[in-house]
Amino acid sequence: MLNAFHSPQSVALIGATSEIGQSILKALPQDNLENCFIVARDPKRGAKALAEILPDRTKLTKVGFHAEKTQSHQGIVDQLFADGDLDIAIIAIGVLGNNPDLNAAANALEVMNVNYVASAHLMLLIAERMKLQGHGQIEIISSFAQTRPRVDNFVYGSSKAGLDFMARGLNDQLEGTGVSICILRPGFVRTRMTKFLPEAPFTVNSDAVGKLAVKLLKDGQPIGYAPSILKWLALIFTLLPKNVFRKISKRK
Amino acid sequence: MENIESTGWGRTLRSNSLEFQPRSLEELQDFVGTHESPRGVIAHGLRRSYGDSSLNIGGVSVDAAFLSDLTFQQGTGMVTAGAGVSIGTLEKASLARGLFPPVVPGTGLVSIGGAIAADIHGKSHHITGSFSSCVKRIHLLYADGEIRDLFPEGPTANHFWATVGGLGLTGMILEADLQLIEMKQASVVVEETRVNNLDEMLTLLSASDKGFQHTVAWIDLSGDFRGRGVVGKGNYSTQTSAVEKSSPDKSKDGISLPFPNIAGISFINKYTVRAFNEMWFRKPLAKGISSIDSFMHPLDRIQNWNRIYGRRGFLQYQFVVPEGNEDFLAHVLATMKDLGAVSFLGVLKRFGEGSPAPLSFPKPGWTLALDIPPQLGNLEQALNSLDSQLCARDGRIYLVKDARLKPEFVPLMYPRLEEWRTIRNNMDPRGMWQSDQSRRLKLC
Ligand SMILES: Cc1cc2nc3c(=O)[nH]c(=O)nc-3n(C[C@H](O)[C@H](O)[C@H](O)COP(=O)(O)OP(=O)(O)OC[C@H]3O[C@@H](n4cnc5c(N)ncnc54)[C@H](O)[C@@H]3O)c2cc1C
Repeated sequence: MLNAFHSPQSVALIGATSEIGQSILKALPQDNLENCFIVARDPKRGAKALAEILPDRTKLTKVGFHAEKTQSHQGIVDQLFADGDLDIAIIAIGVLGNNPDLNAAANALEVMNVNYVASAHLMLLIAERMKLQGHGQIEIISSFAQTRPRVDNFVYGSSKAGLDFMARGLNDQLEGTGVSICILRPGFVRTRMTKFLPEAPFTVNSDAVGKLAVKLLKDGQPIGYAPSILKWLALIFTLLPKNVFRKISKRK
Repeated sequence: MENIESTGWGRTLRSNSLEFQPRSLEELQDFVGTHESPRGVIAHGLRRSYGDSSLNIGGVSVDAAFLSDLTFQQGTGMVTAGAGVSIGTLEKASLARGLFPPVVPGTGLVSIGGAIAADIHGKSHHITGSFSSCVKRIHLLYADGEIRDLFPEGPTANHFWATVGGLGLTGMILEADLQLIEMKQASVVVEETRVNNLDEMLTLLSASDKGFQHTVAWIDLSGDFRGRGVVGKGNYSTQTSAVEKSSPDKSKDGISLPFPNIAGISFINKYTVRAFNEMWFRKPLAKGISSIDSFMHPLDRIQNWNRIYGRRGFLQYQFVVPEGNEDFLAHVLATMKDLGAVSFLGVLKRFGEGSPAPLSFPKPGWTLALDIPPQLGNLEQALNSLDSQLCARDGRIYLVKDARLKPEFVPLMYPRLEEWRTIRNNMDPRGMWQSDQSRRLKLC
């Protein structure tokens, strides 16, 4: 349960080795935090990083999972609610793919399956459980890349756009239930996942993204960009004529 | 049943639940006896608890308002009061018969059910003890749909005392027999004294407890936080003439505080509170006869004053610490000063003996209550640190005011928690009575 400061008692980080995910936990108010579920392919690695971030009194529960094994999702979600209410779930699983051509078919399946299918499925399952408890927030990590298909990474962009689209619809449906979704749309974030890519303008580090993500949760805002200025860039991107957009969106 | 959003008096936490307003006892009994939901049911009265004691997010909350009967037993001073009757209503009806409840809280807008479930205290605690001292029978609806009578002594005593201060978690109180005291006049002889610092305040409060039935101090929580304030003392009037009549409808006129409330914005800040407190400190001191109503419930003349804090609401931090820990009171004032946590409602009182109820709040010592807006930086950490010092000093937090305590402090503050839990689990093996607070603090 949240307390009067809206500090959570129980949170789940799905994709616990995600640097953005960890930064969100770092920025969350921790004084009231009793339980943290660490859901990851390698939960030990996630737990190791989180043990350094979270207070000693927080109980860390490791849950191993494969995002693409969607049949296991229900069981995973059940575990998150087994000890009582879950206040916040952060869905931070996401991949870019290993192929240098980000749009190659060889990359696409994993990107679509993890970023869209698995994330969206988990979001729906968690929302159903939160509806029963009458409260809760789910934060998903969408992307600035979902603004408009860009030549250099439209596969990734489409997976995030699908997740983003569903989150917006779900959030509207959840109105009045006490449950809500926060959509975080980061731009280029300096992390392990992006270290081999050239930096884009307005690049931020993951701790800055974490702080914005927590502000969204605290203010109950449905959508936020990181950095915030990208909100205006997104608007410009949407309005640009196609040929101009195609030119500037090609990475050298 | 309608799904509605509710809050406690402090308005910091919002809770969606199904609101059940039974039309009859049978309907309520049927509902409770057959209800199956993991989120359970909680009773509520007038929602004057500050935090989440009366809230049940995702579950059902039952309004006790329909339990509104009052039956006086001729010649005994006993009244059978429905759980939904407010203390204010009980006071008026009692005064008309030359009677009065021996314990009344700072507001008349508390239900009998809420008064028992929190084992409330008043300015008379050093003499009368808490509310349960006048409760002679509780008529309780159990989770199985059965109704049983509980008494303070005898075979039902453990269920009785688990229900007193039990925060609605043992069952729903339907009605109670209360022993009233004789009261010929609806007035109190009042004397107020200005004090310049905490030491003077504590000394005067202790000394006054000997000669006065009612004592309480308003403490200025702004400026230099040295603990200046006004000590109020009162005795029921025995004079038969020149009595100012109680004016029960004052609350309807409503007066307003000097803090506007526009579109949920808070106007509580260092400057407004300091100005108000300065004015309050300098106000002409009362001396002489006052109506019982305005002496007991001064804030009831101000409608919805809880809204002046704006959208984010406010917290009330109320604790008791045993005598000998006066330095802790000074430490709390210093902490508030450091945080810049000004408050216009600081109340200090000395408690007498506690009641036999395992979860009852009052115990001998000093109790301080202060209202604070939650958005102050570091307030959460600062209050957690005060809590842990309280535990070390055998102090405790008043749960019905709480919206932020950490669960691990509860068994330290209430060492009989486990004993209470065992009785409670026995009374409600299905765990049907639940509240947001019981989940947050892991009470059950
Ligand atoms: C301005 C103000 C001044 C106050 N002054 C004092 C004071 O001087 N002394 C003091 O002790 N307290 C004081 N209080 C606190 C107040 O007395 C308690 O919070 C009391 O419990 C409120 O009663 P209620 O009817 O509003 O109950 P609610 O707030 O609706 O509920 C409070 C608790 O009682 C339980 N409950 C309510 N009805 C029933 C029932 N029928 N059966 C079982 N459980 C029930 C609820 O489940 C909940 O746990 C004050 C509060 C305010 C707002």
